[in-house]
Order: sequence, then C-alpha cells, then structure tokens
Amino acid sequence: MPQSYDTLSAEQIAAGVRDGAFLAVEVARAALEAVEAREPEVQAFIQVTPELALAAAERIDAARAAGETLPPLAGVPLAIKDNMNLEGTRTTCASRMLESYESPYTATCAARMLKAGCLPIGKANMDEFAFGSSTDTSAFHPTNNPWDLTRVPGGSSGGSAAAVAAGMVPLALGSDTGGSIRQPAALCGVVGMKPTYGAVSRYGVVAFGSSLDQVGPFGRTVADVAAAMDALVAGGRDPYDSTSQEVAPSFAAAARGEGAVPVAGRRVGLVPAFMEAEGLTPEVRAGVERAAAALDAAGAELVEVDLPHVDAAIAAYYVIGPAEAFSNLARFDGIRYGYQEPGCTSLARQSALSRAHGFGAEAKRRQLLGAYLLSSGVYDRYYYAAQKARTLITADYARAFEQVDVILMPATPHAAFRHGEISDPTAMYLSDMYTISLNIAGNGGISVPVGLGESSGLPMAAQLVAPAFADERLIAFAAAVERGVGGAFAAGVGSPEGAVVPVPGSASVLGVAPAFAGKGGELA
Amino acid sequence: MKELQEVLKDWEAVIGLEIHTELTTLETKMFCNCKLSHDDAPNTHVCPVCLGLPGALPVPNEQAIRSIVKAGLATNCEIQKHSMFYRKHYFYPDMAKNFQTTQGPVAFCMHGRLDLEVTGRGAAERPDCAFGEAEAQSLASASAGAVGLSADLSRMAGEGMHFGTGSKCAMSGAETGTAQGGPAPEAPASALAGLSGYDTAGLAVPERRDDGSYTVPIRILRIHMEEDAAKMVHVGGEEGRIGGAAESLIDYNRCGTPLIELVTEPDLRTPEEARLFMEKLRRIFVTLGISDCSMEKGSMRCDGNVSLRRRGDTRLGTKTELKNLNSFKALHDGLAYEICRQAEVLEEGGIIYQETRHWEPSHKRTVVMRTKETADDYRFFPDPDLAPFDLTDEFIESCRAELPELPDARRDRFERDFGIKRADAEQLAGDPQTAAFFEGAVALAAPGEAQQVANLVVNDLPAFLKAAARADADVVDDADAWLADGDVASAADTVEPAGAEGTSGDAAASSPFAAAGIEPAQVASLAHLLAGEAIASNQAAVVIEAMAGTGRDPEEIVDERGLRQVSDAGALQAIVDAVLARCSDQAQQYRDGNQKVLGFLVGQCMRESKGTGNPKLFNELLRASLS
Repeated sequence: MPQSYDTLSAEQIAAGVRDGAFLAVEVARAALEAVEAREPEVQAFIQVTPELALAAAERIDAARAAGETLPPLAGVPLAIKDNMNLEGTRTTCASRMLESYESPYTATCAARMLKAGCLPIGKANMDEFAFGSSTDTSAFHPTNNPWDLTRVPGGSSGGSAAAVAAGMVPLALGSDTGGSIRQPAALCGVVGMKPTYGAVSRYGVVAFGSSLDQVGPFGRTVADVAAAMDALVAGGRDPYDSTSQEVAPSFAAAARGEGAVPVAGRRVGLVPAFMEAEGLTPEVRAGVERAAAALDAAGAELVEVDLPHVDAAIAAYYVIGPAEAFSNLARFDGIRYGYQEPGCTSLARQSALSRAHGFGAEAKRRQLLGAYLLSSGVYDRYYYAAQKARTLITADYARAFEQVDVILMPATPHAAFRHGEISDPTAMYLSDMYTISLNIAGNGGISVPVGLGESSGLPMAAQLVAPAFADERLIAFAAAVERGVGGAFAAGVGSPEGAVVPVPGSASVLGVAPAFAGKGGELA
Repeated sequence: MKELQEVLKDWEAVIGLEIHTELTTLETKMFCNCKLSHDDAPNTHVCPVCLGLPGALPVPNEQAIRSIVKAGLATNCEIQKHSMFYRKHYFYPDMAKNFQTTQGPVAFCMHGRLDLEVTGRGAAERPDCAFGEAEAQSLASASAGAVGLSADLSRMAGEGMHFGTGSKCAMSGAETGTAQGGPAPEAPASALAGLSGYDTAGLAVPERRDDGSYTVPIRILRIHMEEDAAKMVHVGGEEGRIGGAAESLIDYNRCGTPLIELVTEPDLRTPEEARLFMEKLRRIFVTLGISDCSMEKGSMRCDGNVSLRRRGDTRLGTKTELKNLNSFKALHDGLAYEICRQAEVLEEGGIIYQETRHWEPSHKRTVVMRTKETADDYRFFPDPDLAPFDLTDEFIESCRAELPELPDARRDRFERDFGIKRADAEQLAGDPQTAAFFEGAVALAAPGEAQQVANLVVNDLPAFLKAAARADADVVDDADAWLADGDVASAADTVEPAGAEGTSGDAAASSPFAAAGIEPAQVASLAHLLAGEAIASNQAAVVIEAMAGTGRDPEEIVDERGLRQVSDAGALQAIVDAVLARCSDQAQQYRDGNQKVLGFLVGQCMRESKGTGNPKLFNELLRASLS
C-alpha cells in the first residue's frame, strides 16, 4: 500500500533501505517529489540537488546489492544549510555576495552526514550570512512557516527547519550562533539541537561568530536528531578544526534510554526569572510547564536555579557576534570570488563597492557595528566588557549545574510571528533572549516540541540545557519530554485543539505540518 | 650633509629593529598542510586555509612553535607559557582573509637579550662620549613605548595593565577543559610589565676596551609568531607599486609561511651595531636550523626605526621607519644616511615627521613611502578560531634539549680549546657547517696547529671558492657567502642551514668546502706544511687548487711541484750572494740607511729561488750580508 514518505522517521527510512523494503533511489525520488509538491509554498531551499541525491542513492543501492554493510543513515534525505560547503553545489549564505560561489571543498559536517549515508536533497534557505531570526533577510526569497504560510519559520536556519516541518526531508543541518537552530525548530514544531561548542566541527561552515557558531541537526523526533548527532561526531575530533573536541557517539543510545543518563531521580532546574520574564507569552509558558510535568512524571525532581548575570547575555552577544562577524566577513572583497562590482578603476573602490552592493542591510549593519566595537578606544568599553560578561554568564551556568542535571526553559518567548511583523532590529534581537546565553557560555541546548499553543494554535517548544559536553543528557531528557507530551496527546489528555496525533511507531510530538502531510512523495 | 661620525658626536641615534624571519626549514605552512616552497610555479601550494576561502579554519603548526621557542631560548627570552593568536585587520589582496593571524601583547618569547661585541673599524662609530655612566641614562630613557612598538600593541599593553592578572577571563566550558568561549584578551601583568619600560639598572653599560672594541647589551622586546602574506607583483606601473599598475599578480605560495618577528628595544646606537646585531641573530638562527635566513631571497627581512636626540637629552625624538634594508650593507648604509639626513633637518631647524621611508641603494638616499598622519587601526582581537596556547614545561624543556651549541659558546670554546684568535673563532663558530669542517680538520691536525687550520678555513679556502666561482657563475652566491674578508656586503647570505637533527659530521659534509672536494684531512696536512714552514704561505692557494676534488695529499703535491720551501742556509746564501752582486746599487742604498729596499732584495731572492726559498731566512741572510 503506498504511503507518503513523510510518515517515516529517518531511523525507519534507514531500516527500510537496509532491509530491502525499498531502494534508496525510491526514497530519493519520493523526497524530490515531496519537494516539488511542497516547495512552491514553503520555499525552504535555495538550491535543490536531484543529481547529487540520486547519485548518492544509487551508490547506496549498489553497495547493498554488493552485500556491503550500509552506513547508519543510508538513504535518509538531508537538507543542508546554505552556509555549509558541499562540492558540486553553490554556497551562497543567502547573499548576493556569494550568489554564484561554488566551494572547492566540502564541510566536515556535511561530509560526515553523507558518509553516514544521507542523500543531499538541497541547500536550505537562511538569513543572509545567518544574521537574523526570521530567514527574511535572505537575499533571494523568504521561507514560509509550514504551519502558517503568512508566518516566518524563524532563523537563521529557517529553511532547514521548514524543510523538516513540511515533511520534505526527515533531517536537516543547521548552524546556531545565537539560537539559529533552536528558535526555528521551536517555531516550526520540530526538534533542533545545538551541541556544546566544539562537539561538531565547524570546518567548511562559513563563519559568522567563530566563538559562538555551532552546527547541529533538525529532525521530527529526538531519536532522529540523536542518530544525526552520532553521525556528526563519528570519526572523532576534526583535525581541521582546532577548537573541535572528541565526543563519544552515544546519542542514539541515550534516546533509547540506554547509557548512564536515566531521567528518574535526576534534578531539572527551572529559572524563575525566565518563567516570569516580560514578553513571554502565556501559551509558551504553559508549554514549558507541560514539559516540566512530563519530566516530573518520568521521575525527575524539579528545582529552581538562578542565573544572575544572564541578563547581560544579549548585550554581550551583540558585541562579540558583530565583532567576530566583521572579522570573518572581511575576506569578502570581490577580488577572487563572490560579487565583484564591474567597472572599478581602483582596488579600494572595487572592494568598497563590491561590499556595499554585495551585502544586504543586516549584514552591513552587523559588520559596521563590529568594526566600530573593535576600533581603538572603543574596544575596552565594549569588547573587553563583553568578554567579562561572558565569563560571568559561563560561571552562572557552571554553578547552576552543581545543583541540577539539566535546566528547562523556553526556547523562544512567543510563537512564530508574521513576515514583517518585527521591523525594529532590537526587538528582533530580543526574540533570542532564551537561546543566546548558551552560545555565550558554550553549553549545548535542544528545542523540543510540546504541542500547539492554546491561543495561536502554532507549535510550542521547550528548551533543555546541559553542562558542557554532556549533550547526551539533552537527548535523554528531550526524549522523556517527547514521550510524556506525545503520550498525553495520544491519550487525548490535555491535547490542544489541532494537535496531530503522533504517527504510530514514531515518538514525534507534532509530526509534519498538517497542510503538507502526505502531499506528494509516495513511497511504494 | 655631515659625515656620520661627525653627526654622532652631537647627536645620539636611537635605533630599534624589527626583524622578520621565515621559518623556511619547516615542511609546511603555519596553519595548513601546504608545502613550504617559494620556488615552484605560482599558486601551486595553496588550499582553502591559506587562500582564506569561506569556511576554512587554521590549525597551528606545532613545529613552528618549537622553532620560535628555540629562537626565544637562544636569545635569552622568557618563554611565555600562556599566549594566544590575535587577528590584525587590513584590507589588501596579499592577505587572503584581510586579516593577518599574529600574536597579541603576550608573544611566545618576551624580554630577551643579546650581548653584542663590537670590534674592528665599525666600533669607532660610537663616539667616546657614549660610554660609561652617561650611557646608563640613555638606556633607561629609551623605552619600547616610544620606539619600535606599534600603537596597537601599546594600546593593548595599556589595557592589560589596566585589568591586571585578576581579571583574566576564564574560558567557558572550563569544566571539560575546552577552549570554547573565544579566547579572552590576555593580560598577565608579569609579561606586560616590560611594555611600559624596564628596570635598566641591572644592564651593563658599555666600556671601550684598549683596542677600541666594546660590548653592549641589546634587549629584545619580544619574538612573536605570525603568518607571511602572499607575494604580489605589479605589472605595468611605476616602481612596481599597485597604484597605476596595469595588472597585479598574486602568488599565494608564500601566504601562510610561518614567520617570526623579533622586535628589539631601542638599544642600538650606531648603524654598525645594527648591522652586527642582525649578523649575530642570523648566525644564531642558522645554527638553530630554523631558517635559511637569506636576506637576498627575503626569508630574513629587517625594518629599522631611528630617531635622533641631542647628546644628554632624555626625551626621544620623532622616529622614522626604514624599509628595503635588504642586505647587511643596506641596513648599515640606510641607517647611516637616515641619521645624517635627520641631523641635517634638525640642525636647520626643521621637523622630523613620523613616516615610513624607503632606502634606495642606487641613489644612496631614503625617500618617503607613506606618512603616518593617523595611526593604523588594525582592530586587534583574540582569534576565536585558535585556542590559547598553554605550553607545558615538558614542551619547553624538550625544545631546550634540542638546542645546538650556539655561536657564542662555540666561539668561546674554539678560542679556549684550540687557542685560535677570537676574531677567527667568531667567524668559524657563526656557521654550523664551517664550524664542523674546522673541527674535523683540527681533529686530524698536529697539536698546536689549530691556528693554521683556522687561517685556511677562514681565509684561503673561501678565497679559493670565490675564485672558482668566478669561473662558474652558478655558484657565485655560495662563494660570496663563504668569504669572510670583512666587507660588510659580502657577509654570508645564502648559507644552507644545518638540519635540526644533523650531527656535526653531517654538517661538515654539507659544507661548501666538502662540495668543492676539499677534505678535512687535506686541510690538516696543508696546515702542517705551513706550520713547519715547509711551504711558503703564499703557496697555499696553489696547493688548495691542486688538492680540491682530487683527494691528493698536499705533501705529495708539494713534492711533485717542487714547492717545498728551502730553509737550508747554505743553499740560500748562494742565492743571496748572487742577488747582492747583481743589485749592488740597492745593496748600497740599504747600507746608506734605506731600510725599505730590503723588501725588494728579498723579492729578488724569492724569484731567484723560484718561490721555494724561505723568505724569513732570506731576510735574515740579507741583513747579515749587508751589515
């Protein structure tokens, strides 16, 4: 009986390919059909790569035919954020500056996912150079939230989140500098994880804030995100990223409840100041409380913890981020690659005009800010002060984790907003209030769906935070939230109106956005 | 313009050097695995990292860190266990990322010192008034903040002092020891203490010795690690500058080459001292095997900062920075010109502007390259892609254990153990291969003949190589490099460095003497012939030519060619008699008191003996016959 490919989790697809239930090529075709049917409304991709996906699928089918053992994610379609280099594709960073730039090498994170058997379906839309929380700053087109096309998917990894939420792919890669994985995951009702800084290689990912950036996966289930994490850390620390660390691939085991991280008896911290914060909508608060209740039901103890300096996180972030961005984006001068202003008679003019016309407004705003913040006489007041704030915030988390095993908090203050609804940059920056401090401190965090909001009817999420390099705890606790909340829906207890009943065999809380579920992409 | 020596009587020149050395002996670049090679076709040793492509990240070359630590240990620096890389921003196509990765206020090596022995004619450049107690004040008042230190570094130093050690930011993720969080700006007060001026009381003040020589301590502010830029060639413009060029070509093979920059304190007072310091540093780096140190090829480059002040003043004058000092001679002459130029401007009531000037050797002048109206703002900040370095004691000690015998220690040992002249010992010790060859020959020489061996290795062998090279233009550079004739321009410049792990035997085997087919045993044998006056010293060249590449024993050559010196008084007396009979006029002149004519008569005797007579004996016999 034909079923839509979007009912399958990544784990189920890989198992089906491995067991011969279907061919990888059939999965690739189904994924490309789903993209064809859904993409006109969602616009999650900057580039779709059928040739690469089919070629990868054919290699997997040939390997299986030859009796080889297939890699763990063989045949699983994957969307890759367009700031990640992949040979044979453009890496545009959603900017005119790199509109036609093709990288001669592949990012480690993308290479590892492909090595694990993923099929590269396309390059996902994003805010230009990852500067934004809506994906509206993409130089090419906005991306629409699959739950409500008039709304943003969040950002900057909005294309990745939307592609997963619309059922075009079960897995996507994003990057998170201030919440760019966790916030769009929350707004699109999917699982999104930012591992601890250093857990996943940044090599080949176009840098925004080098001390803040971290790559992570999106999926519709915690188990799928865990499987992707195992693939990202398999192979050990990346010798091409000197800030990367050795991490054990123990995530899938943690999702299954194995390993040394049972939830029962553990302490979960709640930050009262976060739950009372101005701007936090009641429905998001209710969603986080639902997650807390799920963890409580799983045997965890809820305690209050304090993060006294975390108020400074946004200010520190908007010093450190732009400073590093100014430096990292200095290389885009139009000389050897990227947008080059025609007809210039001097080097200075060519660089200046290429940058003036190649970058969009937000990219220019951040670089100008960064150039100012690092300049002589200003540096001490801002950059140095921001580093001191960073130290204090990091210490806050370290102290909190002396009392608790994980911290539970909102991922965003509100549900997905409409395109153009937030026009003031500062108001947009404030929408990252719950995610940014983790990039400042470096700890990992995961955004997990908890159902739909009572007033908006849009996806709600909770965020879990773990000590540095204890990211498997994120998976274990998120899985507990997923089981608890999803189980409650299945039983019809407290299920909000419009919530999707979880797919049998999958622990997904929300599944594919209803408007797109089953649209194109049938798999025999 | 007045002569340098005149100028320096009235004016004190305050000179600091910034010396860049490429670590050419390493296999790979500073932050990627590309091969280090400047001679191959352009842009053949490049990768995403050294091209600064989007997404690329730097990974530091540990061997380069070893090299700089060795350089620091060899120049008496304090090795900083905790230091980090910074980004220095400027927009220019030779730097692929539009920032250079370099070090911040704390470099791997801080606060070193080299004692400089200034001998020979150049020692006279420092006037007699610049010795003794007056000089203590001079040293104390010339600080790094005023000369030789960029505005940015000064700023960072100030910032470091301001926050002190207590506020050093801890790294986030500290519980697992990760470097995340971006390196916090560094500010250990101990390492920065020197940036605002040292306690100079403990420094020895130079005293002039009877022979005119003196020893002066030259403080080293820091040696930091950085990456070199790409090489640019501007085609079709004036003077190879980018402005007006029809096109500019970039070769990224050089981009990312590990580079160490040594910055001296402004402790140098004469162009000769600057030149000798550079030579000394070069000998040390060549001995360490960390670079080929070729000024000609640009693997060792020097910028000079110089300002003048009236003798006795404690306030520093405005400095200018000199570029294009691409040889030891250029370094000396460029500084000498600039000192005289500044003196002339000042004496005419003019003003020295802080500017960068270009030395033009062909016109023997410096010209303005650019004026510094505003300080460059490089927007230094810690490189978030590179974790701070924490060097362990074990690492530093393993570097120390790999240090070879350094030139000064070797010079002292040669002087002490072999009893050779200090100047010769200095010359021999300066290069590992020459030193090894010399030691090999001395080991085979008879006791007490080390000075003859030294004479041959310092003077006769290089002269032979130079003559041979004239015939074969391909190796002319090598020969020049081996000449030690005291000409500032001819000092060694293209020496192959010893491999870091090479034994002295290997070093000797790779010397240019060995390459020319000269063996230590032959040199020992020749030295013996000279020591025993078996041949005249002016016959050494003939023997060397005959033994090079043939493996023949000099004894055999001397006999075959009848070069053996005749010291039999009876045989020589006959020649003396014959000459005196023939040159009776000159004989009479000598008897009348003209001592000089004796030289002529000795020459006649030598000619008569076909060069085999002992000139000393001829001299004695002539005197006796004429008395």
